[in-house]
Amino acid sequence: MSDVAIKVENLSKLYQIGTSRSGSLRESLADKWNTLTGKKAQATQDFWALQDVSFGIKKGEAVGIIGKNGAGKSTLLKILSRITEPTRGRIEIDGRVASLLEVGTGFHPELSGRENVFLNGTILGMTRREIKARFDEIVDFSGVEKFIDTPVKYYSSGMYVRLAFAVAAHLEPEILIIDEVLAVGDAEFQKKCLGKMNEVAGQGRTVLFVSHDMQAVSKLVTHCIYLEHGKVFEKGEKNFVINKYLSAINKSKDNLVYVDSETSGKPKIRKVRINTSKPNNFQVSSSPMSIEVELSIPHRITKTCLTLRIKDNRGVACLDFSFFDTDFVCSSPGIYTLICKFPKLKLYMGKYSIDAFLAEPPGGEFFQTLENICPFEVLMFELSRGDWEWQPYNTVYLEEYDWDVKTAVFSSQE
Amino acid sequence: MPKLIIDPQQRNLLLNGRELYAYRDLFLILAYRDLRVRYAQTFLGILWAFIQPLFTLLIFTLVFGRAMQVDTEGVPYPVFAACGMSAWSYFAFVMNQAGNSIIGAQGMIQKIYFPRLIIPLSKALVGFVDFAISFLFILVLAIWYGVTPSANIVFLPVFILMGVISALAAGIWLSALTIRYRDFQHIVPFMVQIGLYATPIAYPASLIPERFQLLFHLNPMAGVVEGFRWSILGTQAPHPYAYLSFGLAIILFGTGLLYFRKVESVMADIV
Repeated sequence: MSDVAIKVENLSKLYQIGTSRSGSLRESLADKWNTLTGKKAQATQDFWALQDVSFGIKKGEAVGIIGKNGAGKSTLLKILSRITEPTRGRIEIDGRVASLLEVGTGFHPELSGRENVFLNGTILGMTRREIKARFDEIVDFSGVEKFIDTPVKYYSSGMYVRLAFAVAAHLEPEILIIDEVLAVGDAEFQKKCLGKMNEVAGQGRTVLFVSHDMQAVSKLVTHCIYLEHGKVFEKGEKNFVINKYLSAINKSKDNLVYVDSETSGKPKIRKVRINTSKPNNFQVSSSPMSIEVELSIPHRITKTCLTLRIKDNRGVACLDFSFFDTDFVCSSPGIYTLICKFPKLKLYMGKYSIDAFLAEPPGGEFFQTLENICPFEVLMFELSRGDWEWQPYNTVYLEEYDWDVKTAVFSSQE
Repeated sequence: MPKLIIDPQQRNLLLNGRELYAYRDLFLILAYRDLRVRYAQTFLGILWAFIQPLFTLLIFTLVFGRAMQVDTEGVPYPVFAACGMSAWSYFAFVMNQAGNSIIGAQGMIQKIYFPRLIIPLSKALVGFVDFAISFLFILVLAIWYGVTPSANIVFLPVFILMGVISALAAGIWLSALTIRYRDFQHIVPFMVQIGLYATPIAYPASLIPERFQLLFHLNPMAGVVEGFRWSILGTQAPHPYAYLSFGLAIILFGTGLLYFRKVESVMADIV
């Protein structure tokens, strides 16, 4: 037996845009007539969702498929799951495959939780006997045992997803293909799900995980395949590929740097730029970062007061820091660049943006307020803390710390 | 487990029986789901399955039995019509349900793989519930009118099998056609309506003039309905052209499977 689980050779998938193949009978007959009489058929546009994609995945490997929207990730997933056929190319799969493109496929609202477990499990490829054997475990994992005989239409959406995921989590395939949409539900349940996926990957089974959440990818996989415009752009060890991806991903976004080049008679902020540890406003937590602010002061002001605030994507202010020009180095006319350096940025993983305020001291003039500029993302990439891995929204800030442990021995006489 | 190979150049259009067998649990549970859901939230529930055929039977008895006095070879008209209807209603139900089944299961088809044929096939199983109910009708009516079944009844399973094949042939063809051309969604009700009168349900096949018998038996269900009646009631044996009916049903079934396989590969891409 070979150690290759999935072998993909020159895989291509063509979609035709412009005509729908589920047309009406009349359109189809008209098309046939047109071809027969030599007239040109309706204009169609060819779109290659995948082009000459080749790769191999070894047994027991956990592989992430990353790429921007429209790069062909979903198409690849659908072909590997046998939902759709490739136009060209060849795939060899060695082992029982289970693919999870959504949870709860086939769930029927009128059926009870119990019935839906059997229905969904069978659709996912389990036999009745296998489901019966794992039924108690599934119900236990879902935490909805009280309502297992209630029609699922009365379930809350959370309960529904729990039950659906519980079924999926108890599949025991040799190859597991997972779409990122599975990362649903509340934080506690997410932990449970990711834990379960980790467990699967740890049991020496082959896992394919599709996502554009680098945090989740770097946590779950060992290798990555980076797709762009339907082609394999890079593949290999995960950190190497993720780095490539991060340096390409935000390149096209123009709001990463705030620029205002117009001149006016008022003092203002001309430019704000963040120098992150990774390109394109990706910052690794606890690495150095700096923020550059360019000021234009056209006339003398009493004193420059600049305040910057970092907010997370829920709008919660996390850091607030200011520059008050006590030595009057930048309060006379001129253009100034101020650089604020963080030797170790201790923000936790998440998405952040900056608010900036420019004013004179209280009583003076208020020049400018900028909100939500320079979006950046903090990753826990390449950082590990062992047994309990990082989860989103655990905190917004990390501090350095040490633990002291004092040991006392139980005295047996007590 | 053998390696799975996906290669569009080496597609196999033949039926993969082993795979279908591996998914037998899915076949059963899909049928179960249909049954459970069918009368959910209706006030009369399963009673609906009795009411509909009962009324058709009543109308047939009034129009064909009383008003037109159709020749039933001495069999009480309600029993005569009930026999024809049991076979036909099974056919109509399965054709209709299977025909729309793939469109109805689009959500599933786009998210997971399984042999798509399972979906229309499971409808053939669901249809047996209605079939059992209509059989109950025959039984009750036969007792009421004191009709004893003929010895030909040993052949009934053959005709039931032919009924299943005809219904699946139509259903599989239609399910694959409907996904490509939605027009068929509107054609099926017509077919059911016309078929109800073009098939010898309310009247015996002998009523049709000899020169139209060939045309009449191009309907695969003509032979099945005649056979049903012959085996249960011992009325006139099916016309020799009934073999044509059966042959056609089998050909349609085979070509339907092939066409379905052909469309199967693009089912998830068509929305």
